[in-house]
Amino acid sequence: MSMPDKDRKKNKPQVGVVVVTHGNFGQALLLAAEMVLGPQDDCLAIGVDVELGVDETMEAIQKAIRSVEKGRGVMVLTDLFGGSPTTMSLSLMDDENLEVITGVNLPMLVATLQARAMNLDALAENAKSAGVQGIKVAGAMLRKKTRK
Amino acid sequence: MTLVRIDNRLIHGQIIETWLPYTGAETVIVANDELSVDALQQEIMSLAIPQSVTSRFVSIENLAGEMQAIFSGKESASVLVLFSSCPDAKRAYDSGFDFQSLNIGNVHYSPGKKQISPSVALSDDDESCLKQLSRKGVSLDFRCVPNDPIQVRF
Repeated sequence: MSMPDKDRKKNKPQVGVVVVTHGNFGQALLLAAEMVLGPQDDCLAIGVDVELGVDETMEAIQKAIRSVEKGRGVMVLTDLFGGSPTTMSLSLMDDENLEVITGVNLPMLVATLQARAMNLDALAENAKSAGVQGIKVAGAMLRKKTRK
Repeated sequence: MTLVRIDNRLIHGQIIETWLPYTGAETVIVANDELSVDALQQEIMSLAIPQSVTSRFVSIENLAGEMQAIFSGKESASVLVLFSSCPDAKRAYDSGFDFQSLNIGNVHYSPGKKQISPSVALSDDDESCLKQLSRKGVSLDFRCVPNDPIQVRF
């Protein structure tokens, strides 16, 4: 049995998590992750609305990052490499202790939320491999198996 | 072909995923005074641009010269030019960068602006810049992504 969340937090603060995406994707993804894992602390989702100004969106992202920062840095998970959720997050790297990882999917977010005792670097590597591992052409796998 | 676009986000998902493949641009020029002197932002945006595409960051004033350099000795080149605002596009035109068509992609809303399409909200200043360009023969193309219908309700 793992420690109750309350005690774990007392021992060691965890890495903060912010999901920054186009539209409501991040909020929905976070809800989905909480459906799998139960409610989570120190994680937020920010949706980037193309109709809003860059400055106010940047401010919202920065505010979210600061509010989940517990002294161990923040993992920012974004959707599309090259998209503005990513470029905006990257431009905050000078001011905040961040890692930015793109291509967020549910396996990646779940793995991140599960391993927040890790250092930021290790957590990012872990998240990347979970994100990639989560992608399977499952139908073909099943067909292969049943053919044998 | 050369696409000239106003997009307050400059390089972002719509550009990377739709306009670059659509135009087949070999070069992206970001014409923006602030970015032309901000090395960090340039690096971040260059990271986002596919490696097969060259990127340049120039001030509005230097844009005409930059375009001349790109086209000199070539019959054609495929270039995507990005401005972050209508006044910037107008300023570039006035300082010698000649373009026939202007794509207006994202001009974000703020109080006092008039929303003319889901992705474009114009201030009086924006409107007068676009009208002046239009009077000089620049055709205005209000499209967020290539597959949008060309909306000219202006």
